[in-house]
Amino acid sequence: MKKTSMVVFATIASLFLLSWIVKGMFSEGSSPYLDGFLVTLAAFLTLAIMSFLYKDNPYYKFAEHLFVGVSAAYAMCLGFWSTIVGNLIPRLSSTVSDFFQVNYIEGDYNIFFVIPIIFGILLLMRLSPKAGWLSRWPLAFIVGTTAGLNFVRYLRSDFINQINSTIIPLLIDWNGFGDFFSNMNFSATGQLVMMFSNLVIFVGVVCGIIYFYFSKEHTGWFGRASKVGIWILMITFGASFGYTVMGRISLLVGRITFLFKDWLEIIS
Amino acid sequence: MKVKLLFAVILLLLLSSLSFAQDDSAEIDTSAVVEELVLPAPPGNLSGVDKPNDHGHSIDLSWELSPDDGGGLNTVLQYDIYHWVPNLMLELNLVRDSISVIQKIIRKTTNGIIEGSQADSMKKVFEKLSRSELFDVRNSLTEYVKKGNKGLAEACKSYPEGGAWLFLDKKPSGTSTFDHIGSKEFKSSGFVPDFANLYYRVDAVTADGAKASSNILGPIQSSGQWYNTFRTPVVFSVLLFTLLTVFFVQKARKGADLYVRPLGGIEAVDDAIGRATEMGRPILYVLGLGSAADIATIASFTILGRVAKKVAEYQTELLVPTYDPIVMTVAQEVVKSAYLDAGRPDAYKEDTVHFVTQSQFAYVAAVNGIMLRELPATNIYMGKFFAESLILAETGALAGSIQISGTDEIAQIPFFIVACDYTLIGEELYAASAYLGKEPVLLGSLKAQDYAKAAIIVLAVIGVILAQFDFGTEFVNLFEVVN
Amino acid sequence: MKRQLPFLLVFIFGAFMTIQYYIPHESSEFVYTFLLDWTMIIGIFALALGIWSLYQVSVEKIKHKKENWVYSYVTLFGLFIMVVLGFTFKVGDSWGLYSVFVIALMAFLYCLINASIAKSKGLWFGLSGVALVVLLGIAYFDDSWGVAFMTSEGLRNTMFTNFADFVMTPILATMFALLAFFIASAAYRAFRARNVLASLLLVSAIIVMLRFNPYMPFGLPELIAELSNWLMNVPNLAAQRAIVIGIGLGIVATSLKVILGIERGYMGKG
Repeated sequence: MKKTSMVVFATIASLFLLSWIVKGMFSEGSSPYLDGFLVTLAAFLTLAIMSFLYKDNPYYKFAEHLFVGVSAAYAMCLGFWSTIVGNLIPRLSSTVSDFFQVNYIEGDYNIFFVIPIIFGILLLMRLSPKAGWLSRWPLAFIVGTTAGLNFVRYLRSDFINQINSTIIPLLIDWNGFGDFFSNMNFSATGQLVMMFSNLVIFVGVVCGIIYFYFSKEHTGWFGRASKVGIWILMITFGASFGYTVMGRISLLVGRITFLFKDWLEIIS
Repeated sequence: MKVKLLFAVILLLLLSSLSFAQDDSAEIDTSAVVEELVLPAPPGNLSGVDKPNDHGHSIDLSWELSPDDGGGLNTVLQYDIYHWVPNLMLELNLVRDSISVIQKIIRKTTNGIIEGSQADSMKKVFEKLSRSELFDVRNSLTEYVKKGNKGLAEACKSYPEGGAWLFLDKKPSGTSTFDHIGSKEFKSSGFVPDFANLYYRVDAVTADGAKASSNILGPIQSSGQWYNTFRTPVVFSVLLFTLLTVFFVQKARKGADLYVRPLGGIEAVDDAIGRATEMGRPILYVLGLGSAADIATIASFTILGRVAKKVAEYQTELLVPTYDPIVMTVAQEVVKSAYLDAGRPDAYKEDTVHFVTQSQFAYVAAVNGIMLRELPATNIYMGKFFAESLILAETGALAGSIQISGTDEIAQIPFFIVACDYTLIGEELYAASAYLGKEPVLLGSLKAQDYAKAAIIVLAVIGVILAQFDFGTEFVNLFEVVN
Repeated sequence: MKRQLPFLLVFIFGAFMTIQYYIPHESSEFVYTFLLDWTMIIGIFALALGIWSLYQVSVEKIKHKKENWVYSYVTLFGLFIMVVLGFTFKVGDSWGLYSVFVIALMAFLYCLINASIAKSKGLWFGLSGVALVVLLGIAYFDDSWGVAFMTSEGLRNTMFTNFADFVMTPILATMFALLAFFIASAAYRAFRARNVLASLLLVSAIIVMLRFNPYMPFGLPELIAELSNWLMNVPNLAAQRAIVIGIGLGIVATSLKVILGIERGYMGKG
């Protein structure tokens, strides 16, 4: 370890020790020093992750590796109780359910819940070099089931329903040109703007679809339509980008509030 | 033995409370005839049908409004809907209640039971039992309900003897339909048996509480259907689309030359692998947060296969950290066979594809670490991405890697566009797998997709023209799929 | 057989799910939920595979002393501590020798990992034996805590929740907050617009950002607000629909290819 990094380490360690003691002394609660330690730990990890913005460093590496291990175990614990104990055990048998203190779910076909167990064990066969090919069966089951599921459902939601909603009238409250010009105004709910908007939607959808056309060269009028399509796509992406930017900034404000309020208690 | 005795006692207890329950419902029934009140005219012509296109257990009711609803005396406030149930049903409902009380005691969550209610008295009986006794009693009661439900259809035949009218729901004045959606779970108190004789009655109720009953509807039976007619438009489009795809795939197999326009992101993949080889740095392939069930991930697997094959040929290093364990399994399979196809099975390492963790930001933290420490020449992101897309793409851009991305998550596309060198937008991701292989069979399906798009444009143009006229709505309804 | 059977399974289940969509009958619904439950249960078995992979990669790193190998211990300890905490709970008022137990367990793992790597295997095995005796002894004689894998008592274990609340949550929240910094650098990248498309993106982003900026010091011109609303409601709607139709068709076509066995890339045969 280099001298500078030793110094940095010593500084950080003493600062956090100080924070622990101070937080412990002024904390109210049954176990003030535990609370003080936990808040300091949380602050340390927060800063460790933020230090990544400067450059990769040992503190970030520590926080990152800890996070990976802890979260993997967390997912496993949760998965065990919600899926194995919550979903599988209650179907297996009433004796096993009673042991796990869950309600046995009656069913005439519960015997079939042996199949996912078998599939699960086949999946674990991957670890054996000889029987590894067996693990393709459960994968085939999962992929097949969900492909079938997606096939019809997306055809309905993203295809048929979209045709339905693209069919909009281009002329609204049309009473001839005379009426149109005499009542013309630029208000958002006015006839002109509404008609223009519907036209943009219609043209936008058509040109957007043309942009995604693969089997025809994008030249001539087709190419121009495709160009309009990508313009509209880009405008949309910009709008969505801007919208998210504003949302994310509030998150940062939240994290800074934690550091200054809960840990350092500078602001209240 | 002890358990059986207890079971008998509980049943007796329940049956005795049942007689009270019956009295209650009888009371509701006769309260309609109170002399001083002015009775409204009854709703007329109550009729019903088995709810179409459903799984059964439901009846759609409709009636003619009482003449005093919105006209005449204009006194009708609401309609009360009743259905007739045999005594067996009432008894089973009580047994169901006690089962739920036992469940709560077993799970130590009895706090919700209101003091003084019937459930409370049950609680007192059950709380004295030991844990194993509770389980036994509960299992016998469940068995009892299960058997009892089988006899419900038979018991319904005794109408009008041996049963009572049970209040179902109320509807405000002006309503003339009610869908009685029963539960299919025999354990639920809203259970409605299929193929059993059901009877219904609707009362018009005034603000004073005066009631006038309609004719009694029944017997009527509910049942499940084997085909959902509402979804016929979907059948047609599935058939059309399948035919189109199969037709073009066959055509492609026979050797027809199918044109596909070039896609920037795809062309870049090969160059990027070459660049990585020259620099002697690895390639990072991120499959995103999707599960193996997401079609975007499946498309990504195919692209991964092509990339891995090229990587194996060029002898570059490949890193595939994964978020989902099943995705990891599949990806290992894909990469392994790609190395085999490239004739370099020896170069395949088991930890090329490895699991990180199933937590979004822990995964991001780890992938960020890889980007900064291994300095991959190229990062490829293909699949489903959420809020992490920006963190990944920006870190990669700062680390100076060439980045190629593709996702069908619309909200994330802008971030990829800004931070990556090439981005496959939405459908282009799905098309990419066909592109990379240049396999005629896969290209065939692209052609089918394009025809479907052309169909949408044509239909939309026709629809927009028709929408200016009165029969536009009928055209729109062709594409209406009721749930 | 080895190659063809999986594709047959894909076809059978895919075709079933396609047809199931049109059958409202109870039995069809029943099979549908059945199959979805199955996929979830298989997923948990897969998670075991995943954890195994994580363990192996970490141990490999330690074994070969690859760059940053020390941190692999952090991952492993985080992993095992969290699992232990998740399956134990406090019986009495105090934790008793619980912390010693956890430390002994970590020592046991450390020695075991070293035993599989180091040359002096005997020493490490001996040490792990000592640790094992200690932890088994505590587990047997200490009554102040218990092991529970039947009930989710462990999830309510205060140590477990502390780990979740003070280790996982702050890191997670900070990672999420980093987005704000990254969005700034992404915005800077977008500002260096090089072509028409990037400029279009930038202009519409600025309009929307002005609209949703809560700290706007001067009165926002009405026009910007209306323009931004129009952008979100009109071109946005059109483009979203075009993308959705494209994605929908992509998903439908890919699913169909998967069911029919035309697309086989996901099984490692492209």
